[in-house]
Amino acid sequence: MSTEVKTKMLTGAKPRNMWGVTGVPTGNLYVPMPAVIEKIIVETPDTKTFRLKLEDPKHAEWFTWEPGQFVELSVFGAGEAPIGFASSPLERSFFELTIVNRGKVTGVMHELKEGDRVGIRGPLGNCWPLEDIKGMDILIISGGCGLAPLRPAILYILAKRSDYGEFWLLYGARTPADINYKYDLVEWEKRDDFHVLQTVDVGDDSWTGNVGVVTTLLDQVKLDAANSVALTCGPPIMIKFATLALVKMGFSEDRVITSLERYMKCGVGKCGHCCVNHVYLCTEGPVFSYAQLQELPETRA
Amino acid sequence: MNVGDKLILNKSNVSKFFSSLREEMRLVAPKRRFAGDVICDVVDSPEEIVWEYGHDIYPPGKRYLFPHYEDMFTYRFGEQVGMEIAADSPKQAIIGIRSCDVTAVRFQERFFTSPIVDPFYAERSRNTVLFSLVCNRPPKKECFCICCDAGPYLESGFDVQLTDLGDRFLYEIGSEKGLEATKNREEYLEPCSDDDIAERKRIELEADSFFQTASYIAKAIIYITGDEVPDEVWEELGSTCFRCAACTNLCPICTCYTVDDVPQGNELFTRCRSWDSCQYAGFTREASGHNPRSTFGSRVKRRFYHKASFQYIMRDGRHGCVGCGRCVSACLTKLDLPSVVKRIRRAMHDYIEPKSKPTAFLQ
Repeated sequence: MSTEVKTKMLTGAKPRNMWGVTGVPTGNLYVPMPAVIEKIIVETPDTKTFRLKLEDPKHAEWFTWEPGQFVELSVFGAGEAPIGFASSPLERSFFELTIVNRGKVTGVMHELKEGDRVGIRGPLGNCWPLEDIKGMDILIISGGCGLAPLRPAILYILAKRSDYGEFWLLYGARTPADINYKYDLVEWEKRDDFHVLQTVDVGDDSWTGNVGVVTTLLDQVKLDAANSVALTCGPPIMIKFATLALVKMGFSEDRVITSLERYMKCGVGKCGHCCVNHVYLCTEGPVFSYAQLQELPETRA
Repeated sequence: MNVGDKLILNKSNVSKFFSSLREEMRLVAPKRRFAGDVICDVVDSPEEIVWEYGHDIYPPGKRYLFPHYEDMFTYRFGEQVGMEIAADSPKQAIIGIRSCDVTAVRFQERFFTSPIVDPFYAERSRNTVLFSLVCNRPPKKECFCICCDAGPYLESGFDVQLTDLGDRFLYEIGSEKGLEATKNREEYLEPCSDDDIAERKRIELEADSFFQTASYIAKAIIYITGDEVPDEVWEELGSTCFRCAACTNLCPICTCYTVDDVPQGNELFTRCRSWDSCQYAGFTREASGHNPRSTFGSRVKRRFYHKASFQYIMRDGRHGCVGCGRCVSACLTKLDLPSVVKRIRRAMHDYIEPKSKPTAFLQ
């Protein structure tokens, strides 16, 4: 691919649209926009993807977002939770959120039906630096539901495939039943211009693929680290080992980019829950390069 | 009359002055309660104001600008989702607030209105004027505002600053808001003389000499900024924490809050916010059970990183302590700022070589 080696330091990118910074369509920072559940896709036993549409056309008109950003989802009667976008940013008529049934809000969300209403505040946070990495080879490493915030980036890159170099996806799940977006992975594996490798921690009788943690797949990846960038998202332990392995492979610290998660309430840099050292993940994150994380010692924990 | 003017408010005119102000806004001032305590509260008449009081343990700036519990909006679900904003923000004057608390209010104002504007705080802040009262003596032995550039008197940042000169107050106008609150009441004010200024200067110098608590925070800021304090030291400090959060609740600077949806019946819910504390284990616990700050030490470290790191000084324009001494009074196990600063400095004598890599901007 391109032999041009980029020299710009990579960081999470500044989005074009951000709730509270570029506008507040509802007039109050804390009041969400009503949205309707159009479709529910069951991904795994504990994970569903919700296709949502904003009710007010004025809100929908304003609502543009970029891969890596997230929303505060209001489940009425239960509260709010931060959820990353999981659909293509080029699709303007709806957006999707993939939600694992884990806590109070997500538990009630999983009981909702098509046609039910929820509230949305967003887009929040920064985004993957997809403009800055044009022409580079891209390696995506993700584990479990960590594929959700990367799916918009994958769909975007596939839609603008000629702008990017080699494209690899390494995806690990606990068991074959825990694999998200099986319908996408089937399609992606068919493509010649997208290398998709999957693994599970524990296989079953029907599983014929790789078994082991996702970093074991790195041996099969053929990339020039000097002109590559890695995007990672998954459980903290996976991110940690993937980052160490990538740096060992020759990736410089600013070319390993990750999306962090923290407990969050307000999403606009006020409530203090998501603060890591002096950085508010909700407004200055969640996307950071490993080089940036070196300045935030708390993320080592 | 201009911002920066120094005038005299005779004590014989105080009642008339504040009665007139009360026609325009509610007055919050130190007032004797049934049990005998003097606490800042809404007063019905200026006669109720207790001018000779020490220090309100409940930070009045935070109480009336960023209340412990506040409704954000109410919503109903079912047929139609309607939302009604519930913020109440009456015009108010906070009288008798101390210099440390004024500094804290300015800190919170800056935090809540930049870069993203919190609509509830901004509205209250617009409607509030502060009549601060200089401490002629530090009201408590725990006070150390003098180490934190937040008192006992202010050079700037106040709306109106009052200094008790015996039978009269020196009345300084420090902002447009203060000027606005003074207009219509000029008849109660008199010009001040050079003698009044000299008396004020004498009181200032005398007040400075009465402080009993000192916090040598500068060195601790260097250690904390460079992440040099070993985790074992933080864990040792944290091992005595009761997780009561009195320190952060009483801190006039702390701003963290949590959000809850409270059912009101009939499918009606109120989304409200209330103070939260980084000292609670649940503050960072995620739905998966993963907790990035799972130990007492990591949470105490978090609190002092926010109070005394250069990264936050750059963000907030000052370090996160005004020396009001409330954490000193409140913490049963001495996890207050002066004690922790002292213990960090003592512990670091054994670590003369920095253990970790200094952060980039120190290199």
